[in-house]
Amino acid sequence: MKKHLLVLALVAAAMTCGNGLSARVQGPQIETGTSRGILGIKIAVPEFQPVSADEKTIQLTNLFNKVLWDDLEYSGVLTLVSRSFYPLGKFANPGDIKPEEWTIPAVDAQFVAFGNVRAGGGRVSVEARLWDMKSPQNREAIGKRYGSDETEEGARLIAHQFADAIVELIGGGIRGVSQTKLVYTSDRSGAKELYVMDYDGNDSHALTSYKSIVMTPAWSPDGEKIAFTSFRQGGANIEILSRIDRKPYNFVRQGGTTTTPMWSPDGSRIAYATSRDGSDTEIYVADWNGRNYKRLTVSKSVDISPVWNPRTGREIAFVSDRTGTAQIYIMDAEGTNVRRIINDGGTAVNPSWSPDGQHIAFAWQKSRTSYFDIYVHDLATGKNDQLTQSAGDNERPTWSPDGRHLAFESTRNGTSQIYSMLADGTKVRQLTQSGKNQGPAWSGYLGQ
Amino acid sequence: MTSPRIKHVGLLLLILSTLVAIACRKQPPPPPPAAAVPAPAPTITLRAEPGTVERGQPITLQWEARNAASVQIEPGVGQVMATGNRQVNPTSSVTYTATATGPGGTATDTARVTVNGPPPPPTAAPPRAEPRVDISELFRRNVQDILFDYDKSDIRPDQVSRLQGNAAFLKDHPEVRFTIEGHADERGSQEYNLGLGDRRANAVKEFLTSQGGIQAGRINTVSYGEERQDCREQTEDCFQRNRRAHFTQN
Repeated sequence: MKKHLLVLALVAAAMTCGNGLSARVQGPQIETGTSRGILGIKIAVPEFQPVSADEKTIQLTNLFNKVLWDDLEYSGVLTLVSRSFYPLGKFANPGDIKPEEWTIPAVDAQFVAFGNVRAGGGRVSVEARLWDMKSPQNREAIGKRYGSDETEEGARLIAHQFADAIVELIGGGIRGVSQTKLVYTSDRSGAKELYVMDYDGNDSHALTSYKSIVMTPAWSPDGEKIAFTSFRQGGANIEILSRIDRKPYNFVRQGGTTTTPMWSPDGSRIAYATSRDGSDTEIYVADWNGRNYKRLTVSKSVDISPVWNPRTGREIAFVSDRTGTAQIYIMDAEGTNVRRIINDGGTAVNPSWSPDGQHIAFAWQKSRTSYFDIYVHDLATGKNDQLTQSAGDNERPTWSPDGRHLAFESTRNGTSQIYSMLADGTKVRQLTQSGKNQGPAWSGYLGQ
Repeated sequence: MTSPRIKHVGLLLLILSTLVAIACRKQPPPPPPAAAVPAPAPTITLRAEPGTVERGQPITLQWEARNAASVQIEPGVGQVMATGNRQVNPTSSVTYTATATGPGGTATDTARVTVNGPPPPPTAAPPRAEPRVDISELFRRNVQDILFDYDKSDIRPDQVSRLQGNAAFLKDHPEVRFTIEGHADERGSQEYNLGLGDRRANAVKEFLTSQGGIQAGRINTVSYGEERQDCREQTEDCFQRNRRAHFTQN
């Protein structure tokens, strides 16, 4: 895993060669990437200060501070210096920051993010700055006023925007994911319905109220549509809904058991599994309305859960039990050249292909009596890195669009809940609480 | 360049096939009887718990064999490991016989099981003179769940008679259209279990059409994977009840 992130850092650095800002941080990024899996640039984030002492302003300022801290903490590219080491004082404006106080060994922050929050008249506005303590000539890396509605959502949104801007600048040009979302299923209302929530578990709301069964949601690459399995009309069938207005799109009914839809990287087609033409499920590809379908696998076995290589669109990974137990295979997108990728036995399911095309995260049960755990398979070396440690079943990993995080479902605390972690298995946080929550799918960047 | 090698291979094949031909013609004498020490005689014990049940309740067969190369339990269980247990659902009183075979001979043990309750429905068509009998009630009473092994979709030998019973009822009621639901226990991935349930439903459908004489057009199949559990405990008994093909009338 450490190596993965090193490679990621190198790629990230290469991608931003044209961007003058990357020179600021290129060096330390690579060095720290080898040591901990986190790029680890040190940043101090003193509390943003409320401009007035009214209750609303203080409440929104506190919320903003919490969300900004969490976003940066879970970004995977920064090390936050503990506030107990900071100099005494309030840091609301440029005049409040004395660089020499932040660079003494006890603090040793390369960056300081600070500012102030103003609320009133239905608006909240935040004056936010990111200062580079090691660049006296070019101190202010970010200086921006953000505005939104005077609500908790507004304060959250601004914190996410500022955090993403910091991450993009320091993390080698790869955007932060704090404005992305997860779709998943929950039975908290009784029946299993689709829900959408922010990447940190906030603002969860139902997308369906079918009172049937829904499963296996998948985002279209543009984040506008969600394809999923629905039992509303009898057996398992694919449906598509707009995330924005819940408008349904037609997907031609296939017959048999039809499930596990996955969008092609260009959004024009859907790979899925169906038993429409036989006695077991096979992998098919169709236009995203279900027409012009083509069968890709021919095997007397369960073939299911196709995922495209999101980088090239030229390969599809899938699950098949053609050798007796479920295992992960890759084939060319035309159905040829099928090869098995996990060769150490057990049951390997839930493939999720990383955004850079280099890795496949999956759930692996090494023997019938063991739990499922999340692993990452490196396609170049064939190595499998274990990310979770058998605390209950850990299943259905899904990559964030920056490739630095994975969400998954786990029964570690009893009922199945959704968690996220960094792609090296650290910084696990629980995102759902009530009911049984399953099958997370992480969105791409949502047109910010 | 390659021809000498081909010649070599050809020659080799010729020699080999000649050798095989000679070997075939002249069967070597049978090997001398095994060494003077006789192989120990196999032993076997078979137990059924409980020995008496109401119809429909399960019975656990438990056996232990020594010095056996193979162990067979009849009726309906077949070849098993030397030591183990298996849940069975006999529909009428039956005597199970376990046979252990090894180099030292053969041993058998039997276990008698008494099943109380109404006899299985007659295979002949029920008298039509009773119009008050509700067909959906008959369906529920006569068409039973078919159980499967973990991660398997083939029809188990011990489920065949039950499935034949289902087929007989369905044949006697040609007007009934029905759905076979395939289910899986909660272990394994949800997606894969959906595929597994699909295959179970189709395996039952295949049996009914090819061996039960039921028209495919009467049968609908659906897989619920692990989404509709019959039993919610984390026990093998419960997992077994959930690994099923369930019939519903359309």
